[in-house]
Amino acid sequence: MRLDIAKKAAALGLGLALLAGCGGGTEQTTDGPVELSFWAWAPDIDKVVDKWNASHPDVKVVVSKQAQGDELVTKLLTAAKGGNPPDLAQVEFQSLPTLVSNDVVADISEGAAVAKDKFAPGVWDQVTLGGSGVYAVPQDSGPMMFYYRADLFAEYGLKVPTTWDEYAQTARDLRAKAPDKFLGTFSSNDPGWFAGLVQQAGGSWWSVDGDTWKVTVDDAATKKVAQYWSGLIREGAIDKSPMYTPEWNKALNDGTQVGWLSAVWAPGVLKGNAESTLGKWAMAPMPQWDAAEPRTGSWGGSTTAVTAGSKHQKAATEFAVWLNTDPAAVEGLVTQSAIYPAATSAQEALTNPPAFFPNQPDFYTKAAEIAATSSGFTWGPNVNVTYTAYRNAIGEAISGGGDLVPALAKMQGATVDDMKANGFKVGG
Amino acid sequence: MTGRGGTAPKLAPYAFVAPAVVLFVLVFALPIAYTVYLSLFRTEVKGLGLGRGSRSEVFVGLDNYVRALTDAELGAGAVRVVAYGAILVPTMLGLALVFALLLDEDRVRARGFSRIAIFLPYAIPVVIASLLWGFLYLPGTSPLNQLLDALSLPGVNLLSPAGIYFAVANIAVWGGVGYNMVVLYTALRSIPRDLYEAARIDGCTPWQVAVRIKIPLLAPALVLTSLFSIIATLQVFVEPTTLAPLTNSLSLTWTPLMKVYQDAFGRGDIYSAAATSVLIAAAMFALSFVLLRVTRSRAFGGER
Amino acid sequence: MRARLGGLPTFVLLVGAAYCLFPVAWVVVAATKSTGELFSTTTLSVGTSLLANLGELGSYRDGVFWRWMANSALYAGLGALLSAALSGVTGYALAKYSFRGRALIFNGLLAGVLVPAVVLAIPQYLLLSKVGLTDTYLSVLVPGVISPYGIYLARVYAAASVPEDVVEAARTDGASELRILTSVALPMMVPGLVTVFLFQFVSIWNNFMLPYIMLGDDGKFPVTLGLYTMLKQGNTTPALYTLVVTGALVSVLPLIALFLTLQRYWRIDLLSGAVKA
Repeated sequence: MRLDIAKKAAALGLGLALLAGCGGGTEQTTDGPVELSFWAWAPDIDKVVDKWNASHPDVKVVVSKQAQGDELVTKLLTAAKGGNPPDLAQVEFQSLPTLVSNDVVADISEGAAVAKDKFAPGVWDQVTLGGSGVYAVPQDSGPMMFYYRADLFAEYGLKVPTTWDEYAQTARDLRAKAPDKFLGTFSSNDPGWFAGLVQQAGGSWWSVDGDTWKVTVDDAATKKVAQYWSGLIREGAIDKSPMYTPEWNKALNDGTQVGWLSAVWAPGVLKGNAESTLGKWAMAPMPQWDAAEPRTGSWGGSTTAVTAGSKHQKAATEFAVWLNTDPAAVEGLVTQSAIYPAATSAQEALTNPPAFFPNQPDFYTKAAEIAATSSGFTWGPNVNVTYTAYRNAIGEAISGGGDLVPALAKMQGATVDDMKANGFKVGG
Repeated sequence: MTGRGGTAPKLAPYAFVAPAVVLFVLVFALPIAYTVYLSLFRTEVKGLGLGRGSRSEVFVGLDNYVRALTDAELGAGAVRVVAYGAILVPTMLGLALVFALLLDEDRVRARGFSRIAIFLPYAIPVVIASLLWGFLYLPGTSPLNQLLDALSLPGVNLLSPAGIYFAVANIAVWGGVGYNMVVLYTALRSIPRDLYEAARIDGCTPWQVAVRIKIPLLAPALVLTSLFSIIATLQVFVEPTTLAPLTNSLSLTWTPLMKVYQDAFGRGDIYSAAATSVLIAAAMFALSFVLLRVTRSRAFGGER
Repeated sequence: MRARLGGLPTFVLLVGAAYCLFPVAWVVVAATKSTGELFSTTTLSVGTSLLANLGELGSYRDGVFWRWMANSALYAGLGALLSAALSGVTGYALAKYSFRGRALIFNGLLAGVLVPAVVLAIPQYLLLSKVGLTDTYLSVLVPGVISPYGIYLARVYAAASVPEDVVEAARTDGASELRILTSVALPMMVPGLVTVFLFQFVSIWNNFMLPYIMLGDDGKFPVTLGLYTMLKQGNTTPALYTLVVTGALVSVLPLIALFLTLQRYWRIDLLSGAVKA
């Protein structure tokens, strides 16, 4: 009888083992074709990868769709700690130093250095972190721009603001004419957006001096931006609800949000969230601090990285380079995944405006001009921490009256504390 | 045959519990032990921390515990959870008790429908439930606000700093009231019916029967549902995490468990996350132990 | 007086039912709307796109949604079945035998209820990755098999529904302990074990944290996790709200069906098990 239990248990174990086998199988022997796993979130990127798989029978790339940027980074960190990361991952620019520091992504300079000429120097610097290594291949970039409802601007007799002073005045004018509408919202949920505004104002949060990090999340430029928005929040000139909520989607649809400070990829988001407003939006450069010297920041933008734990780094590097520089692949990224390619030749090849902006035929020409004014930025090894601190402290500041400046000190404190706790050398 | 008669009852129970014990060790005990181990370390970075092998694991003793215990945010999170529980547990169990007592009344109609309907939310994943309620809370998409607006009344915002406790608690009440109702109802059905008959003959109203007979007899079940509810309350994580992106009122470290998650994943510091986890688990053990001690003497003592 | 007493309880229960059904009704309505309608029409007005939404959901990334549903069914169905069996055997042993270490084992198992899943998931992941079992079906399935709460319930049911004298009678008839367990005790415990099965089915189906941490390959995702990734698309991509809402509706239908067909087993007895039929 007891033997029976053993038999059953064995049968059960066998069943489970079979079950485990039926889904896995990324581990390949050296002879057969190589299979690479690729964690990404760009829409329909599988279709672009299919092109690679069709022409490269010996290296099969399998896309696994994941939750977006920040969450993917946390998953990558965990997977790397556990020793089984994917071979490739889509990584946002600001997360690269974190992943390099945690030894998650590989230095692929050997295979990827050839791609250097395909990208603007500022973009390429972001994947080398200013050193000799190459940690990823740039995929897309996100120069910031101002989007507005051209129809409503005309209806209320508003002019497109070119400076931040004008932006504030336009916001007030709109409130006076249409009390249920806003020119924009200050979102506690989007640290990347705020970082983009800070870049435009010339702020810098991290810098390196020898082997010491310098952290200045509360520098003068950042304070300037925070003070400006504190004023608008407190006088009620703009909305203060987070972006990317169902409520915000509705506000885009029904015209409650008349403008959006966003980036070059905005048409895709607007199309997905507010299809009814097709053709009603227009794009302009960001409002400026100094109209004589136009600048913009970046929001979003990502790369393709090869992990340090990958057993097929060479093949993976080849794929990463192909995905972001091969004309057919990049064209696929643009048409299928609706990204703004980082490769310069591909940017120039964009002639037709996004389908959602038929009214602005020179969309991409203008976008390229704006992109040329992008400010550089050095990201630190713990951007996740700063971003989390932003979400918590800015949310609290907005609920508590709207003075954002004290929140910067909290972000600075959290960032420095975390770096010190991890043993980084942090200078004043 | 004879030999088995003597030994089997001795060995059989061990054989029967063995699979569960083995699985328990693998799924619970080992990871817990590993957590304790991890809590005694942290990483240390050399230089700029960029490049291969720049991080190493070093033993730090109880450092992580000291930092967790002196962490103001963690303390604040604990206070918030207590406040949240003070709203949630009485409301949920109060409603569950009322519903259970009403279901047990003879003259109630639509009994089967109500029972299923109230129990239904239990089947809905908390992630999905939080998402749905988020839609219903946001002033812009809330049907309640559309109604108030149509009546020219001011709207309500449950996602405001004051409303947020109720917003989070409501999701848990909604999801849990039916389950607790069924537990209490099951206990009610096991009470011999003739007890009520006797009371009715004595002239007790249904209300008096409920208060004087049913509720005292439900005491042990109420104690256990309270205990399980309190444990679940202290583990609150998914509801506030899902709601956080919708509002300025919820930080990502709103509860201690959210802090653990942020430490482990947001900051990549599994070591201090481990220390905080151990502290949370210890606090829950202590609390459950005390609760069981106190209530056991009350609930079961009163009955005898 | 009597009529009023009969009416009020019914009314209160119906209010409770309405409160509980309201968000469900909202999902049903929202699932009928196209993206445009979802964010432009009044919340409770019915849309026109249910079939289109279902079609789009089914074709999203070559039908990955149905794969997620199948995965969930596998994790929850097989996991709950094994869990009910394990709980039954363990609960019976804990209720009907007195042996050295019984209290220790029972209390130890119960203490498992106290450890939050979030806390457990990380070390579970790190340990499993040492034996190369992360990102497998097993990594999500196995932790679901052991349920301290299920064992607790099964013990209560065993104590209440398996009479001592029946066990003794079988024993004097010369039946082995295993035979008593499989042909006497477990059949008597079936109604209780169905409850354990249902309970565990729901809890595995709804579990989010464990698969979120364990799985990298989206082909192995359960449906909750899959829907979550559709929602968290990042800044540069619109969230697929319509598909998520439709998917949410579809994903709870099996649970609701399970509830309605097995509703008479939903008698959760935490104490005595002396349930009257």
